[in-house]
Amino acid sequence: MEEILRMEHITKRFGEFYANRDINLSVLKGEVHTLLGENGAGKSTLMNILFGLYQPSGGQIFLHGKPVAIDSPATAVKLGIGMVHQHFMLVEAMTVFENIILGDRNTKGIFIDRNARRKEILELSERYNLDVELDKPITEIAVGAQQRVEILKALYRGAELLVLDEPTAALTDIEVEGLFRIMKKLVGEGKSIIFISHKMREVMQISDRITILRAGETVRTVERGETTGEELAGLMIGRELAPSHYAKVTKPGAAVVSLHDVDYQKKSKHNGLNGVTLEVGRGEILGIAGVDGNGQSQLAQLVTGVIAPEGGSVDMKGSRVATFSPNGFILENVSHIPEDRNKMGLIGNMSVMENILLKETGDPRFSDAGGWHLKRKAMRTYAEQMQQKYDIRCTSVAQESRNLSGGNQQKVILARELENHPDLLVAVHPTRGLDIGATRFVHDTMISARDAGCGVLLISADFDEILEMSDRIIVIFEGKIMGEYPGSNPPIDQISLAMAGK
Amino acid sequence: MNKNRFFSILVPFISVLLAFLVGCIIMAALGANPATALGALWKGAFGNTRNVGTTLSRATPLIFTSLCACFAYRCGVFNLGGEGQFLIGSVVCCYIATQSGIVGLPAIILCILCGGIAGGFWAAIPGLLKIYRGQNEMIISIMLNYVATLFMGVIYTNWLREGSVPQTMSVPDESKLSRLFGLRCTSAFVIAVVIGILVYYFLFYTSMGFQLRAVGLNMTASQFNGFAVKRYILFSFIISGVIAGVGGSAELLGTQFRLINGFGAGYGFDGVAMALIAQLHPLAAILVAIFFAALRVGSTTMQAATGVPTSVSEIIQALVIVFTVAGLAMVKLPEFKAALERIFSAGKEA
Repeated sequence: MEEILRMEHITKRFGEFYANRDINLSVLKGEVHTLLGENGAGKSTLMNILFGLYQPSGGQIFLHGKPVAIDSPATAVKLGIGMVHQHFMLVEAMTVFENIILGDRNTKGIFIDRNARRKEILELSERYNLDVELDKPITEIAVGAQQRVEILKALYRGAELLVLDEPTAALTDIEVEGLFRIMKKLVGEGKSIIFISHKMREVMQISDRITILRAGETVRTVERGETTGEELAGLMIGRELAPSHYAKVTKPGAAVVSLHDVDYQKKSKHNGLNGVTLEVGRGEILGIAGVDGNGQSQLAQLVTGVIAPEGGSVDMKGSRVATFSPNGFILENVSHIPEDRNKMGLIGNMSVMENILLKETGDPRFSDAGGWHLKRKAMRTYAEQMQQKYDIRCTSVAQESRNLSGGNQQKVILARELENHPDLLVAVHPTRGLDIGATRFVHDTMISARDAGCGVLLISADFDEILEMSDRIIVIFEGKIMGEYPGSNPPIDQISLAMAGK
Repeated sequence: MNKNRFFSILVPFISVLLAFLVGCIIMAALGANPATALGALWKGAFGNTRNVGTTLSRATPLIFTSLCACFAYRCGVFNLGGEGQFLIGSVVCCYIATQSGIVGLPAIILCILCGGIAGGFWAAIPGLLKIYRGQNEMIISIMLNYVATLFMGVIYTNWLREGSVPQTMSVPDESKLSRLFGLRCTSAFVIAVVIGILVYYFLFYTSMGFQLRAVGLNMTASQFNGFAVKRYILFSFIISGVIAGVGGSAELLGTQFRLINGFGAGYGFDGVAMALIAQLHPLAAILVAIFFAALRVGSTTMQAATGVPTSVSEIIQALVIVFTVAGLAMVKLPEFKAALERIFSAGKEA
């Protein structure tokens, strides 16, 4: 079959970091080609290069055998590349019809020839079974229909190669079936599709060929018929067990927090929890593994009191939690390293000192008269001690925290959250975006908190981190717990399959 | 000092210079000597103790409304209803001063207290609607300004009208605020400055003020760190309204003595602009209010002495606001920061 797209030796560097390194990808006419990889494997970067949103630092793209330079999305569209983003790019207040013709230059003078356009769209929609109601506003149609609008939009602009970025993420099972029928129809008519996913079941169902990316590099391209889900999962995770730096704890202490059958927005696959039961003991690290967006954020917010469960119960140190509020949990001595340190963890425009003391200003050590007179000097001395102890690199503790590097920002949060010996630490992606040194520091600090008797709930999409740190591992998928595994000699194959929903 | 901080303090001063520069060009174009005109402006505002008194008296209500805006903005909510809260305070104050029969110091204390409470109540409406119903506090507080203005209209045209003139009867002499050193400025100015200092102390030297500022700078992080975000929002709204309400009462008891068409008009938004120029610092807000009052008071002398119309002073006032807002936005631009870096590093090499 004819080759429609070839990407050769594509490299994309951000500073010292390689998001893509020497990637090769070849897509044939009339095939569904899946890009498979974990978060951060480089799928999105590669597709952004293809769609002209990024310029590659090296490599060459060929379309129909000819080298092309794609310098903007407009060029990509002109070359027949259509992209359906994971988050739809539709104007909600406009109708389906208006969204499809939006930005179309094909006009008669200054007017839009609505009837001709409409006929064209209806033809396309019949040909590919893309059933949409043209005159409904976007807000009134279902998510699956919005996706069909996006596909129709791309086809209307003459796309020969369609990129679908995690198209099933927001769909129900029935809608997924519908989407797959459309995809089959499209490739049957000679279009080509790049399908991005990390759900093994879907990948095995729809793909013709699969290219696996890992850590910014191509692992291999395989034919669907010649592989199995197990093999793919292995290639995607792709690692042998490296011995952990830390001794594992096998006998944790009494439970600090336990969840029984907890539900939260059960129906949502990506932002809900469904019958979650788990327990974190004193002096152990329970690692929650899973691909991002399977309920991890909700789990973290639940055990820190930000949201309340809709079903089930939560026990804190043996007594049932009646009201959920962050303050209530803080008084129960729960600490939180939130997933987004800038948005949830730090007040960026406040100083390092103020951030370290955020929750402490009412304490008699730092203010007199029940909080009505701050002891500025004591605050500063304490903050400087913490700066030494946690190795926070800043010009002074008066520096605004938003001007610190990610690693140092995380150390500010550690100083605040760990200095008072919490009973439970909830750490979400604690080393995301940090360099090796800072990562090591965060890990060492968490291990010493564990050894001092703190129960740690570690939620991370970084599988290496989970393996390195956890005394027990629980895998979460679509809000459900898929299984529990020991932290020493964990069965990697089983865990990676569980992460893919098998 | 932090470079960014230094520049954001510098911006208002440069803006003032630029605004005066433009003002001078206009004066010259009108055929006046800018130096003489500015001299007259200065003389009118600060030339003798009497004029200083007048300037401070004009500054007093502006100090109240800009502190009102400062306080709410520090907590991250936009109270644009300072004017309504100011008027409601003065209405309640007027009612008590003229109808209760109490006079003298007890009346003054009672009037100011009740005026403050009324202002706080008026501000609690948008606050409550925001935290319980998610309504936009800016729109509601602006709308309530009109309600308050019209309500005041009912007061001076109907309920408390004096004879056939659409104005209320005057506050009894015994209940008027005393003048300072026989000048036009009264103890209302002292109250304003004391409130400014209290607000400053509260925001920067108490645990609660610290948490309130944290809420204003990052609500999500404050919530995650256990602060009662909604309670702080409502609290800041109410206190902000109390400040405006006290201001309305003080203006009535100190300067105007009766409600009349146009009482307090424009003070609310003037306060917002001044709070922004002061970059939400309560002590700076006091100085900015005095500066604007000086421009207003001095312009009359300028017009009388040199024939430059008072509207030139209004142009200068408006330009100060425009330049400051633009300047503050500019120093936050990444391009500006990059340019600074280049200049500073070049300086080091040389």
